[in-house]
Amino acid sequence: MQGAVAVGEYSVPISVILSVLGLLVGIGLVVSLALTMGLSSYRYLKATQRSQVRSDVQNELLSRAFAPEPKWDEWVPTLSKTEQSVATELLAEYLRELDGSEADSLKQLGVALGIPDEARADLERGHTFVRLQALTWLIRLDDPDPYYAASYEPTTQAERAAVARLLFQTGQLDTPAAGVELLLDGATTEFSVFGQDTLYRLAREAPDAMFALAANRYEAWSDALLAQVLLVHGQLGTGIRTADVSWLTSNLEGDDEGVRAAAASALGSFGWRPELRDSRFLSRATADSSPRVRGAVYEMLGSWGDQEAVTILLYALVSEEDPRALVRGTNALVQRQDQIGRSGPAILGAAWEWSSEHASYDSVARGHTGATQG
Amino acid sequence: MHSTTHLAVTVFGAIGLFILAYYLVVNSYYLCLHILALFELRDDVREANWDEPFRRFASPFYPGIALVVPAYNEAATIEESVQSMLSLNYPELEVVVVNDGSTDATLKKLIERFELEEIEAEVPFEVPSEAIHGTYRSTRYEELLVVDKVNGGKSDALNAGIWLTEMSLFCAVDSDTLIDRDALLQIVKPFLKRPGTTVATGGVIRVANECSVRDGLVKDVNLPKTGLPGLQVMEYLRAFYSGRLGLNRLNGLILISGAFGLFRTDVVREIGGYRHDTITEDFDIIVRLHRYLTDEDREYTVDFVPEPVAWTEVPSSRRVLGRQRRRWFRGMVETVVTNRGMLFNPSYGRVGTVIFPFFVAAEMFGPLIEGLGYIILPLAWYFGVLSIEFFIVFFLLTTGFGIFLSWFGVFSEVWSFNRYEDPRQIGRLLWYGVLENFGYRQWKTIVAWQGLLEYFRGVDSWGVMERGGFSVENHEDN
Repeated sequence: MQGAVAVGEYSVPISVILSVLGLLVGIGLVVSLALTMGLSSYRYLKATQRSQVRSDVQNELLSRAFAPEPKWDEWVPTLSKTEQSVATELLAEYLRELDGSEADSLKQLGVALGIPDEARADLERGHTFVRLQALTWLIRLDDPDPYYAASYEPTTQAERAAVARLLFQTGQLDTPAAGVELLLDGATTEFSVFGQDTLYRLAREAPDAMFALAANRYEAWSDALLAQVLLVHGQLGTGIRTADVSWLTSNLEGDDEGVRAAAASALGSFGWRPELRDSRFLSRATADSSPRVRGAVYEMLGSWGDQEAVTILLYALVSEEDPRALVRGTNALVQRQDQIGRSGPAILGAAWEWSSEHASYDSVARGHTGATQG
Repeated sequence: MHSTTHLAVTVFGAIGLFILAYYLVVNSYYLCLHILALFELRDDVREANWDEPFRRFASPFYPGIALVVPAYNEAATIEESVQSMLSLNYPELEVVVVNDGSTDATLKKLIERFELEEIEAEVPFEVPSEAIHGTYRSTRYEELLVVDKVNGGKSDALNAGIWLTEMSLFCAVDSDTLIDRDALLQIVKPFLKRPGTTVATGGVIRVANECSVRDGLVKDVNLPKTGLPGLQVMEYLRAFYSGRLGLNRLNGLILISGAFGLFRTDVVREIGGYRHDTITEDFDIIVRLHRYLTDEDREYTVDFVPEPVAWTEVPSSRRVLGRQRRRWFRGMVETVVTNRGMLFNPSYGRVGTVIFPFFVAAEMFGPLIEGLGYIILPLAWYFGVLSIEFFIVFFLLTTGFGIFLSWFGVFSEVWSFNRYEDPRQIGRLLWYGVLENFGYRQWKTIVAWQGLLEYFRGVDSWGVMERGGFSVENHEDN
């Protein structure tokens, strides 16, 4: 191989370049082979060790969990590192499923295994998912002390949600409203579903506080976050009695389609409010330019469920031109079919037949499942 | 004669330089992707270890998922497939089976097994598919819907399912795909993390040949003992653990496997669903999503999640594999040609300027250029242009680098989810990484050229996928 490559004042023979490249590839191959086989063998060894001890650890753990005096402090020091790791894995699995006195006993096992101390250390030094897992452990163990002891402040929405859930679950919040405040404080962008679910759990305990807070702050939120909060309200049912709902009605007439649809969902449990019965307001809502929003408004009217709301719904559906919105409306109407006259179904044609038949099959299949389970 | 030799030297010299430069650029791209994939995998493993402290089945905010299952002449396996899909672990699930004009007993078997009854009402909205004969509901399973329609191909069947579901997400699956019981809980994670912006996610497809299957689930993971499926295990690992993870790191995933992908139903409806005139609908739909959402100036992500796993049986004969790969290649060419406006187009961001062009250079032109090289080499040698020493060193270098990249994929597997636990299986996988460079790789270049010729000839058939069936464990209830 003749020839050379000029680099500035120097010339490097091609054979030298190829040799260096060959050496690099060769080293890469040797290193990756050694790493892959070494790691595979190590993990295989560990997995084998774990499977060998798993059954014994599980039996002992369960028998102690149901004993009046589990004596975890005596048992844990007798376990090897592998056995302790298996016990930790089993503990996570059982705490996910169990409640009551068995769970309380298992939580003491967590303390004996040193999980709270580890969680505190992880909160101070870990990556975000390590910190989240530490908070998950503290929630499982109902133990907020390591959180207080650690020099740690949540930095992401998910961490804020986990902290709020920990403090709420362990009764550390002065009021549930403080949890809502903690979760929504500084929040401008959307939550994950975990965060949204946490907000819902907190808001169930303090619906009025949540309502008031949202009414005051919603203008600072992104459309996505506002829609999430509105959907949480939609799930809260009729817990809110005294508040002014004008911020909800104004959102039903806002710019963002997702916010309008979520506002309709939130208003589903406010049908008894006289200000919502204004015919001009309902005419505007049922004539929204978006089929998605109209569909949500139909569901809102269906969930109100009184004769007046059902009549408005029926009239709106007669002139509905979007087939999907129409089916959402007939799905809602089918739930109230005892309140409409005989002419209703005929006017609505195929959409009504479709919704009606699907509703009956839902009912038949549910009955079958119920009968089987019963 | 002198001038002919001179011309040959000039031409072969230019081609040689081009191929050298091409290899350098493409392999640098692959190396970057593999390194990015490692970082992405590290984050994914950390995230997978976080067990969110809430009861998923009690949350009202989990998005509903419809499994849309196109079925054409699947009478032999449809009952077990649907039964296993109905038992997947997910809070709000619907299974929509679309019988795409089967000529066998697919529909009859479904009716009998799941106690289906026909809905008398007509579908009250337009569905962009071939005519629908009827829709069926089960009297036992509330979450099952069966659609019977005129044959129109896979895309057409998927569209029927997408238009008939009311779930906010749908998962496109092949009826012969086996899905891990918790796979939906995993693949939905990006939608839970970023509910407003995630539009599609894809999971890992693994090779099920020689794995043991019970009740529609893979129980024991075994590496195929025969060469061809084994080589494909290696290819799948490299594609998923390196290629897609790396692209995901760049937020530039442009392919989600048609065998297992999760999508926002409303957004796919907005782009008109799957195109009927394409044979690689999975590639086409992602590229069109990128194009549409960028044109609309909407914030979005397309994600790859390495933990959820679906299993598929890969071809074990060269004839069937060749047919499958020719179809993949001509589908890829067709999608690239259709969306050529995205190439080097800065208005499509990173996807238009970097990812799509590199994808085309590496995946489309790569095997074609390599195939051309196998023709030019003997000619260059004949004209005395080729230095045999240089050729041998070049071949060893490129092959060695190819093996290194394949082993990178195996390392990622061992480091992360380690489904092949036995180190002897890993050793065999590494060996397949070597073996594929001698014969298999060269054969694939021929297949690529055949696929290109088929594209120019306007071939649009799918061809028949012949499967040997899974290794099923009989489960006897005591």
